[in-house]
Amino acid sequence: MNTNWLKLALAVLLVTAAMLFTQTSAAQSAPKGKIAVVVSTLNNPWFVVLGETAKARAIELGYDATIFDSQNDTAKEAAHFENLIAGGYKAVLFNPTDANGSIANVLKAKAAGIPVFCIDREINSTNAATAQMLSDSYSGCVKLGQLFVKTVGKDGEYAELLGIVGDNNTWNRSKGFHSVVDRYPGLKMVAQQSGEFDRAKGLEVMESILQAHPNIKGVFCGNDSMAMGAYQALVAAGKDKDIKVFGFDGADDVVKSIAEGKIVATGMQFPKKMAQQSAEFADEYIKGKRDFAQKIAVPVEVVTKENVSKYGDYGKK
Amino acid sequence: MRAVRWFIAIVVIAGVCWLFPLFHVVTLKTATAEKVAATFNATQFAESFWTNQLLPALTKSSPAEALIPLIQTEPAVAKKKYSRGAGGGDGYFYFVAGAGKIVAISDDEISIAVTGGSTNAEVSLQTGLIFGNALRDGTGLLSGNDYPNSQDYNDISAALNHLVEICVLPDLKAQAKVGEKISFAGCAEVDDETADLKPLKVVPVRAEFNQAP
Repeated sequence: MNTNWLKLALAVLLVTAAMLFTQTSAAQSAPKGKIAVVVSTLNNPWFVVLGETAKARAIELGYDATIFDSQNDTAKEAAHFENLIAGGYKAVLFNPTDANGSIANVLKAKAAGIPVFCIDREINSTNAATAQMLSDSYSGCVKLGQLFVKTVGKDGEYAELLGIVGDNNTWNRSKGFHSVVDRYPGLKMVAQQSGEFDRAKGLEVMESILQAHPNIKGVFCGNDSMAMGAYQALVAAGKDKDIKVFGFDGADDVVKSIAEGKIVATGMQFPKKMAQQSAEFADEYIKGKRDFAQKIAVPVEVVTKENVSKYGDYGKK
Repeated sequence: MRAVRWFIAIVVIAGVCWLFPLFHVVTLKTATAEKVAATFNATQFAESFWTNQLLPALTKSSPAEALIPLIQTEPAVAKKKYSRGAGGGDGYFYFVAGAGKIVAISDDEISIAVTGGSTNAEVSLQTGLIFGNALRDGTGLLSGNDYPNSQDYNDISAALNHLVEICVLPDLKAQAKVGEKISFAGCAEVDDETADLKPLKVVPVRAEFNQAP
């Protein structure tokens, strides 16, 4: 009889211990909360890398993470913010669609007590986002402009493919480039059109530029997707050996094209580094840190055929 | 009686409209002027910054007679002791002042030997077209955190570079002669630790001749 009671007590003890152990393990592996990754567009592989890296780092840090694709549409972006505010997210890793148009969304999140960390693209405010990690596009394009003059020469016609006109990166890149090339009166920009940071649009715009200006010596593209589109147009027109193409981003296909001598150069922006850092900032914020620098400029490095072996996988090897 | 009511109603409506106007009429000239006034003027800012902040801050620059020999022998120590970082990357800046003897002159630079007895180009004052952020970022007086739109901050670089080209370089290029003594102050931008610092390329803010090294 006593043995039976002992066996029963032991069984109850074991079951209780097992339940306690299971609960403790579950508590330990339960996410710390939800982090939203709101990306301007997932049509461009560069932004896919940015979003996926931010999500992966947030998960590594113990959070549930979800990517929202704004499809370069501020209305969709606003709807994402409404949803994530209602959804109880603890932080937003944000790649905005519009430097001015996105401010209201960030302010809404701030009012709801949700910190927003901008990645790569800027909003024109210093009191809305908790911090902004931004590529130093201007300085990168000053260097690309100097290389452009060295490669294309101090005389001749050239074209420029701009990105989305409402985005500061578009103009910081263009202004950095022009701060150099405009100092050479012999270099004449015969066409400047928006390719909207899109490969297909870049191809289309380049085709029309080539018809109107067949004698251009070079084309400066505000991102690598447009550079790939422009190069495709040049190949179709049989001018890929004559016209020098310059991009910006550090996308893998362009880095490979530089190694193959198809594209002259790009500006490496380090999207993985920025995305990981933003997730770490969000984690630090949730743990109590509040003193973040508002704008953190991440330097851009120029990738050419001479140094291309050092780069790949959206960063430095 | 009805006329009085109408009169009172009109007066009340007019009063409300006067207190809370539904729209404002602004002339195109005034609207344009307001827009221009609200736009950041990098040229004006750069001129004011140059006079009121940059020139007075030259006294806080690193001494070339200490920095240059250290760069040549222990560049990592020189960087640690005298440089200013550039964001999260490998680049950095020096804010430097000193004196020396001109050892060579070309279209784009004036080469100076700084250390006693040296005839090598140890500092190169940039005298061609000026690009980059050496002056904006080299002193630590300005920060991107203070500018909601980074385009404004970047425009400051271009405006400061332009001031160097019109205020410093003409006299410097006209008066420089090999063998002459010169004192200088300015900023240097270094891309990374593999950069060639012999000579250190300095964007000049001030240059004066016949000053003892």
